[in-house]
Amino acid sequence: MAAADSPSAALRRHDLCSRGIRLAGKMRSDVVDLLDTYVERQGLDASASVAVVEGVPAAAVERWDEQTGTQRLLENLAAYRAFRALLAQMLEEQREQLGEADAALGRALAAVLLQVSAFAYHLEELLRLESRGPPSEEGAGPPPAPHLGLFERKLRGLGVLRELAQWAVRSARDLRQLAKPSPGSSSAPGPAESP
Amino acid sequence: DSHVQYERVGADVTMKCGSMDWDAAVTWTANGTDIDESHLNGSYLILKNVDLTQSGQYSCYEGSSWHLKYQTYLSVGTPPKEPALMCRSNNYPKGFYCSWHLPTPTYIPNFFNISVIHGTREIVCEKDVFPKNRCHIRYLQLFSTVKYKVTLTVTNALGKNSTTVTFDEFAIVKPDPPESVVAKPVPNNPRRLEVSWQNPSSWPDPESFPLKFFLRYRPLILDQWQHVELSDGTSHTITDAYAGKEYIIQVAAKDNDIGTWSDWSVAVHATPWTEEPKHLTTEAQVTETTSASTSSFMPPPTTKICDKGAVVGSGAVAVCWTAGLVLAAYGVLFI
Repeated sequence: MAAADSPSAALRRHDLCSRGIRLAGKMRSDVVDLLDTYVERQGLDASASVAVVEGVPAAAVERWDEQTGTQRLLENLAAYRAFRALLAQMLEEQREQLGEADAALGRALAAVLLQVSAFAYHLEELLRLESRGPPSEEGAGPPPAPHLGLFERKLRGLGVLRELAQWAVRSARDLRQLAKPSPGSSSAPGPAESP
Repeated sequence: DSHVQYERVGADVTMKCGSMDWDAAVTWTANGTDIDESHLNGSYLILKNVDLTQSGQYSCYEGSSWHLKYQTYLSVGTPPKEPALMCRSNNYPKGFYCSWHLPTPTYIPNFFNISVIHGTREIVCEKDVFPKNRCHIRYLQLFSTVKYKVTLTVTNALGKNSTTVTFDEFAIVKPDPPESVVAKPVPNNPRRLEVSWQNPSSWPDPESFPLKFFLRYRPLILDQWQHVELSDGTSHTITDAYAGKEYIIQVAAKDNDIGTWSDWSVAVHATPWTEEPKHLTTEAQVTETTSASTSSFMPPPTTKICDKGAVVGSGAVAVCWTAGLVLAAYGVLFI
């Protein structure tokens, strides 16, 4: 872990974290806008509750403050890889369903997909800096083809976007934790940081 | 025997004198004062359409022996109306608190029970010692999309009522206002005010959960506020203040990503720096052509223009000295 602790590595980590925080903030803002567009175009009720959707990584976490830096990065990366596949699937379904009739929704979905991909790459860079390297993407393929009716697919899409919005907030917090000066980025925060 | 009897406002109340027969001779008192026989039906005390003023100690005595046969405390009140309940997190991400109150008093003791459900899990809300109508919860999970459902039930001897609020984790985040707001004039800058403040002390981790701020200011003589939103830092310099006017300034805070703005901070007042007016005698003597003794001419002290307390660079200090020398030279010319 000596490379991860060198001054240049620390500086690079701080720089990547700062940029990642900005990326996450922009992503969240765009996802929130996309949610509004999605709800409107798909004819959904914005307050509709969606049951836990299989294959969608939940942002909810217990003992968040006790996670190590590496845990944070790995969980974030797994999530955004999953979202990348889910959003690609949503984009495909949206094109099949609406064709060119709703180009605006398609463009918004594509823009968020791009940001999710960029953020996943950003996380991989951070993991490389931890001398850990990102895990392979084996097994993180697209979720099973849904045997869902049109309405169920729309609700699932709503669930995906809501969870992504939560992740964008969590990711910014995770990166701020990572950016804090500490003896080693893989070590858990000290007692002073526990609630 | 003695006990408490709760009755609704407007109710008709009948009190029996313990085990005494209906036709027994008795005397009733209310808070030690005899009650007129017109309120009696045999040995029963009849109170029609009771109101709050009729709460008190009611006693029944046997007619001839004055033995106390029955005593009760009548407490007149109302069943509870729907309570007001609010939940808020001013210490995110540690937890949140819920507080409640009744919109109208019941005048009798009330008992509150609160339940907090998150998904399938019920969470204990620990009651605060003070204030009594508040309880707090530590977050077991963060970043959850599952809503919290909080139900408050209030019960008293005359009835019960309840209310439920549902919210998600981010929506209730509202910091306390910024603390220690200070506004100071900037020396030699008649249109500037330096404002600084601190994060609310209840916000546990401003480094990981940074706050952004909203500053508003106006001169006292105007009603319209100027607003500035600041994404980082705990200070700001106002550069467009009206010279010489007293300003009122307030700051609010919000988590950078989620929740709502705090209430406004305590207001502070400040007036931008103003130049001290020149002495009128000095100007009059400079324009006179008649001779005057040196003792009647005093160059203005440079400290009035150059405040010792001002943070000045070496250039500004040189200007002060130069001004003093020039004025002293004028004085010599006209002696």
